[in-house]
Amino acid sequence: MGKGQRAVHTYKSSGYIEQPRDNDELLSGRKEGGLFKAAPRTSASLLKEQAAEPAPAVVAKAAAKAESPAAEAEDASQELSAVPTFILVTTYLSYLMLIVFAHMRDFLGKIFHPEEYTQLRVQNGFAPMVSDFESLWIRRLYGRIRDCFNRPITGVAGGRVSLLERFSTDFNRSFQFTGRLHNVLNLASYNYLGFAQSEGPCADKVEEALREGGITQGSTRSEAGRTMLLAETEDMVARFVGAEAALIVSMGYATNALNIPTLATKGCLIISDELNHSSLVTGARLSGASIRVFRHNNTRDLEKQLRRSIAQGQPRTHRPWKKILVVVEGLYSMEGEFCKLPEIVELRRRYKFHLFVDEAHSVGALGKRGRGICDHFGVDPREVDILMGTFTKSFGAAGGYIAGSRALIDHLRLHSHSAVYAEAMSVPVLAQVSSSMRMIMGEDRENAVLGQQKLDQLAINSRYFAQGLRDLGFMTLGDAGSPVVPLLLFNPAKIPAFSRECLRRNIAVVVVSYPATPIITGRVRFCISASHTRADLDYALEQISEIGDLLMLKFHKGVAPKALPEHAGKME
Amino acid sequence: MESAASVANLAGGDEAKRGLLRTAWDFSFRVVLRYIKNSYKDDPFRTFLEACLIGFIIWYMAKRKYNIGTNEIVLTDKEIDELVDEWKPEPLVPPLTDFEREKLDRAVMIDGPNGTKVRLVSGSGTKPAVNFASYNFLGFIDSEEVGQHAIETLRKYGVGSCGPPGFYGTLDVHMKLEKQLAAFVGHSAAILYSQAFATTLSVIPCFSKRNDIIVADESVSFSVQQAISLARSKVYWYKHNDMADLERILGDVNKQLARRGKGGLPRKFIITEGMFQNTGDIAPLDELVALKHRYKFRIILDESFSFGVLGKRGAGLTDHFNVDPHEVDLLIGALCYALGASGGFCCADKDLIEHQRLSGAGYCFSASMPGILTVAASDAIQALEANPAGFLPALRENATLLRGLLERIPGLQVEGAADSPLIHIRLTPEALVRMRRSGGTWTKEDIDRVLGEMAEEAQKDGILLTPATYVDEHERILPNPSIRICVSCTHTRKEIEKCAHAIKSAVSRVTSKKR
Repeated sequence: MGKGQRAVHTYKSSGYIEQPRDNDELLSGRKEGGLFKAAPRTSASLLKEQAAEPAPAVVAKAAAKAESPAAEAEDASQELSAVPTFILVTTYLSYLMLIVFAHMRDFLGKIFHPEEYTQLRVQNGFAPMVSDFESLWIRRLYGRIRDCFNRPITGVAGGRVSLLERFSTDFNRSFQFTGRLHNVLNLASYNYLGFAQSEGPCADKVEEALREGGITQGSTRSEAGRTMLLAETEDMVARFVGAEAALIVSMGYATNALNIPTLATKGCLIISDELNHSSLVTGARLSGASIRVFRHNNTRDLEKQLRRSIAQGQPRTHRPWKKILVVVEGLYSMEGEFCKLPEIVELRRRYKFHLFVDEAHSVGALGKRGRGICDHFGVDPREVDILMGTFTKSFGAAGGYIAGSRALIDHLRLHSHSAVYAEAMSVPVLAQVSSSMRMIMGEDRENAVLGQQKLDQLAINSRYFAQGLRDLGFMTLGDAGSPVVPLLLFNPAKIPAFSRECLRRNIAVVVVSYPATPIITGRVRFCISASHTRADLDYALEQISEIGDLLMLKFHKGVAPKALPEHAGKME
Repeated sequence: MESAASVANLAGGDEAKRGLLRTAWDFSFRVVLRYIKNSYKDDPFRTFLEACLIGFIIWYMAKRKYNIGTNEIVLTDKEIDELVDEWKPEPLVPPLTDFEREKLDRAVMIDGPNGTKVRLVSGSGTKPAVNFASYNFLGFIDSEEVGQHAIETLRKYGVGSCGPPGFYGTLDVHMKLEKQLAAFVGHSAAILYSQAFATTLSVIPCFSKRNDIIVADESVSFSVQQAISLARSKVYWYKHNDMADLERILGDVNKQLARRGKGGLPRKFIITEGMFQNTGDIAPLDELVALKHRYKFRIILDESFSFGVLGKRGAGLTDHFNVDPHEVDLLIGALCYALGASGGFCCADKDLIEHQRLSGAGYCFSASMPGILTVAASDAIQALEANPAGFLPALRENATLLRGLLERIPGLQVEGAADSPLIHIRLTPEALVRMRRSGGTWTKEDIDRVLGEMAEEAQKDGILLTPATYVDEHERILPNPSIRICVSCTHTRKEIEKCAHAIKSAVSRVTSKKR
């Protein structure tokens, strides 16, 4: 391992302000990346609040440091302020044009082709299922680039993936398959540790489990769905994340949507990061609790909200809140950013709220031992009341878990909607979770080092790729070390163009734009995996560089690229 | 509006400004006057309306400003600090009660595979039991062929799909299963979700929004209740399976809408379950379809428990009533119960399915179903389609047999439609009264405890039963405590008889116990 890797983990929760100095260029962004970022690197903040608030001492120091040439390419505010005005203006104009055009087409279409719009009209006394206004975006904007999404695959979504080749003859309304397979480099799947495999020790364990334990339970956890395998895996998850107990849920989305209502009720307050995942929003809405939103990754705004909420109490009655639940994500998957856990944990001590951390993307992928965001920051997991995570990503499985104190989990086993009403976790998924987790923990004696190797490889790959993109002059988001690397595309036309160009060059990528992101910052999101080889990443960088020239995406081209450190791709 | 602004400015302005403003005021006044004159000639009523509207806007804005100012108390930092120090939040979860501890300790644990026959962990060892608790209606959970195929699938697809369907998580086997489901049900298209609960939770709010109207059966399962609350539509509840009550509400709703006049027709839905999880009853779909057309309400039908079970082919309620599946606008089904796989699906018109691919939260924001489970569902459908006679007659026979035997047990109340394989049993009120010699009323906890003891007694006799569990505090109308029995076509006559016998002796044992 590079020494930088160590430096990241010499973080102590008490003394995180005095981070050991580290001159490793590749990791120099770490300081800005973690706690010392001059401004949140989010796209939303870019336009709204740049330098709007006075910077506290710590932040100001970091900003001063960021002006040194070594850190230049890393600094978020500089990067974002460097967006040519031309790009901003054209992006807004493009969207405006698209929307105007969409409305015009609808207007003219209704006159000249009324038969195509029958679905959108009151028919035979029935209101339309989807109104034309609601579906305008889907029909007229998303419809144009539908070929970039829902691309069907076959086999395993590993380091490479086989797409079913398809084409459309009716402007993406329907697709035909050629029957051929298109084998491409996969920079899209959440296969961080490379456990999505159909062979190898994990798959063997799963096969064994299938032979011995069948496939599913046909019941809920609280009725006849609790098996020895489930109980053992729950214990292992608890051990892995450093909690007293854990509860396994058969779907990641449902882990949030069906458990938050048990944790907060009417008279409680949920304070949620503005960029939280849809499942957290659904859970909060179902809970009946009051919901407030704080600005993305802005602990100062969080504190302000907390002070105001506690002081004012419930709306109208001013009664004190029963409890306050602060909900954040460990790694924001659209931004590639870590939450500021040490600062939030400090706030938790002062303001006595309950902390819910969604580690859907961070568990297994972050931290020296892969234990997630707590491991990454060196925070004691017991400082977090509710540790939630999913198995879909790093473990190559499906579903999710909630871990915490024994009292919490016992309560959830009896009162959570997922335990009482939802199907129990299936056998192969449990086997995949337990075998991959065992490997990461080094408890699998035959493959003792494999898990750690994967973790190290992921850390190296992520840094190598992100740094490579920055050196090429691209504008990326996210913290150093994040396996998710978003690259800003801005103009709506570049979004499908990037995706199609990548596909032509045998690379699968994910592009996202409004409404999943703020309207201005459409982006492509790369997910790095331990199963990518150095050659894979070099190939991708080379091709992306060409695409970047083609689409004029290299906004930092003037900055001299730094040489990549030699150790980046090698293991110690 | 303009006048209000100028009046406000007038109050604080100096002499020069005042003159300027007066000119502006005169000018605007003249413009407005001319406008009013013109429009008065045109349509005097409109002028009146507009005047009212302007008045309302002024009133509304003034009112809102006033309200915002009053509710928040202005505090100093020191006061806030004190309040923060004083604030004592409730613990995250309340401590377990003794009864809850008991429930946790009593929870069933299975060693090895689930299926018709299971091994229960008891003490340090295990003992065999016949399973009447899992929703294994067709015996697919312990099907040999499905298991073998699952291993082959594992070797091709691995386990997880590592992404949502939109981002390279759509497998070819997903598309195949979607086609199969649509064809089997007889609908236009289908979409897969990776959990049955999340299916309902996504589909209903995807189409029914604020201001839309939902009329729902009051006994629907919890997932439907949650979905309805997430939709934020206007909700009316009708009495369980009571078509007269439903018709009354539909008529009332339409009358109200007619009174409101033409101002955007809201979407209107009737939501019910095919086979009710909480009662075992079957919804009268033929009557529902008639009402649908008479009152112009669409039907959302949750077939989680009836899919694969009801009808000649096992295609669910539409098959059972011989109704064209297209009459059901959104048909929701589960793959995790009768088919022994995992997840759920929705059948609807092609456009509505495509709409869900971006707007169905549980589809768009969640990883897709693992290949193994998809193929297991595929295989199950194929087997059922090829040979429905191999599953369904046996299932009905077993269900009728067990129901008949249970109905003969004194002190036991048996619920559910005649040939429904989902049977709820509970102790009759008379039996409960008899049990408590000291008098006094039965709390829900007492009844739960008795049912728990009954299930435990049955487990001792080698029959796995569990009381139906609910999150009591969140159910809209908490169903009466019961033991839910699921009959499977793989149960033998002997096992059914054994089950009835075990329940009979359990009833007599718990009712004779002194309390």
